Amino acid sequence: MLELKDYIDKNLISLLKVKKKEKILLKLIDSICQNREIPDSKELKDAIFYREKLMSTGIGLGIGVPHVRIKGIKDLIVAVGICKQGITDYETIDGIPVKVVVMIVAGEKQHKAYIKFLSLIVSKLKDSTVRERLFEAKNEQEIYRILNS
Amino acid sequence: MVFEYKLNILILIGLTILLGTTGSRLFKKFKVPQVIAFIIIGFFLGDSVLGIIDKQMLSSFSFFNIFVLGITGFLIGGELKKAIFEKYGKQFINILLSEGLLAFILVTVFVVLLGSLFFDNMSIVWALGLLLGSIAAATAPAATTDVLWEYKTRGPLTTTILGIVGLDDGLGLILFAIASSITLAIVGTNTPAISSVFFHILYEIGGSVLIGILGGLALSLILRKISDKYGIITFSLGTIVLILGFSKLVECDVLLSAMTAGVFITNYIPRKSEEVFELTNELMPILYILFFTFFGAQLNLQNLNLPIIIIAIVYLIGRTAGKGLGANLGARISKAPKTVQKYLPWCLFSQAGVAIGLSILANSRFPGEIGDSIVIIITTTTFVVQIIGPLAMRIAITGAGEAGLNITEEDIIRESKAKDIMDTTVPLIYENMSLAQILKTFSETDNLYYPVVDQKNELLGVITVDNIKNSLMTSGLDAFLLAHDLKEPVIAKVPPDLPMLEVQEILDRYNIEYLPVVSSKNKVLGFLERRQISRKISTKLIELQKQAEALE
Repeated sequence: MLELKDYIDKNLISLLKVKKKEKILLKLIDSICQNREIPDSKELKDAIFYREKLMSTGIGLGIGVPHVRIKGIKDLIVAVGICKQGITDYETIDGIPVKVVVMIVAGEKQHKAYIKFLSLIVSKLKDSTVRERLFEAKNEQEIYRILNS
Repeated sequence: MVFEYKLNILILIGLTILLGTTGSRLFKKFKVPQVIAFIIIGFFLGDSVLGIIDKQMLSSFSFFNIFVLGITGFLIGGELKKAIFEKYGKQFINILLSEGLLAFILVTVFVVLLGSLFFDNMSIVWALGLLLGSIAAATAPAATTDVLWEYKTRGPLTTTILGIVGLDDGLGLILFAIASSITLAIVGTNTPAISSVFFHILYEIGGSVLIGILGGLALSLILRKISDKYGIITFSLGTIVLILGFSKLVECDVLLSAMTAGVFITNYIPRKSEEVFELTNELMPILYILFFTFFGAQLNLQNLNLPIIIIAIVYLIGRTAGKGLGANLGARISKAPKTVQKYLPWCLFSQAGVAIGLSILANSRFPGEIGDSIVIIITTTTFVVQIIGPLAMRIAITGAGEAGLNITEEDIIRESKAKDIMDTTVPLIYENMSLAQILKTFSETDNLYYPVVDQKNELLGVITVDNIKNSLMTSGLDAFLLAHDLKEPVIAKVPPDLPMLEVQEILDRYNIEYLPVVSSKNKVLGFLERRQISRKISTKLIELQKQAEALE
């Protein structure tokens, strides 16, 4: 049974003070590349930005879930970034600025786990209490606890 | 140490197979049946030209010729199912009698009329006429069936040809027995009683049929307990060879015995026998290369002189006219389909093993002028009709629309390329299509796999019904999931010109159900799904079957 806590890593959670979508995506990509073994960081970056070009992953309610599947990744990698002031250029369905960004990187053949995790994280973040607590969180440790609760 | 530089038999067999198959491929480009290539190559390798395949070697292969004739007879027998006898039986008898008897009568009359100009002794002329006339009735089963198999024919003409070539050997034997008895009465000192002539015919035909039935029964009983391919082919071949051996031992007709065995098992164990004939059939290409090349090698045209050439021409005219007119007459009397009436006369020209065998028999029974003349006339004319016969047949079966109708699933796969079978109507899923759009496409088509492409139609991946199922079971994602997120990586893809045999190998090697077909620039041209491949092939087979049925 796949659970959020199996994939949320303290080291990949950041409280950020950026206002641009590009910046936050790059920060999260850097954080993944520094903490995990990524065969080709450029490929990851290109894939993330290519997906955003196809359609923005701002799903509304202040949530953004950039996600890709690329070769050479053995297990799901999840990086979380909270930006309390909101990212205004992150196109969203409802126009609400994105404050929580969950970046998901999966292996090419991890279709099931990838979809399942996407579903879990989206339903968790759609809970307004969880969102409010995340927006108020003071540090990474607290974000980690909220997401795993 | 002394080396023997003479080519040994293995080198000759290898050379024969390679030259034969190369020649047939070359001839195929000019739409000439392969049997002609084998015979011509054999003729050049034989004593008449290069002398590489000599008489000594050929005589050591006489058992092989009997074996191939026997297998051919067995396979022809396999085609003669009860239903075919019921449907075509009357037609077979009418055509057989008219083409066989007319060939006999015309050759006898023509040879007697013209022979009287060259020979003083009229009894020799009559003997030649009667013996040549009786030999003219037989048609070469191997050469005929080889053309039918090469062009994968099916339909009423094919069925009739198989029935006739199988049966007119028997008619030839009866006529030869009668002719040689009359000849004995004309030229010999000991006139045999008519009763002994008929007893001999009865013995030869009855004995052959009895051996065939007993052999067929034994094989059927064995095969009921055998199910593996290896067992089926070894027990079948073993039994056929025994049938041939016994038939030869008691001086019966090997072809008739083997054919009877074929008829017996195809009707006694119909389902199992299909596998027997299929496996036996696979041996034929290589057997025929050797058989016809050796046949070509033994043709000796060195003893020709003017009277013999003239009688040979007369024989050819009489036989061709007799067979042609007779076949047409028989087909009309029995109200055979128009294609049979029109084209059968062109399909019965070949003469080979049986005719040569009978000429050798005539030579041993009537040594001297009669025997020698018959051997050289039959050899010469055989060479001519073996070149003309298959060509005429090819034109006839093509004209009748029966060529290419007897195709199996394997044939279609062997002869097709990816582009011939691929589904070009499979909808393309663009990578920016949403889950809702993808589901709409799914609902409108019945494919299980869809290629995912970018805006330039270049292949990026594949979406399967299975992975969409996973996405449907999870909630809240439909708003932002795209084909790009749902696609699976492509395990293998193929170019349009890849032969289907290789396509199947790839499907099996990767154990996958589909293969995208792409251009050199990775653009999607079509899609191959296992079930769609089988469906397309079945449709093609049904179409061909309908075409064959429409000819009846």
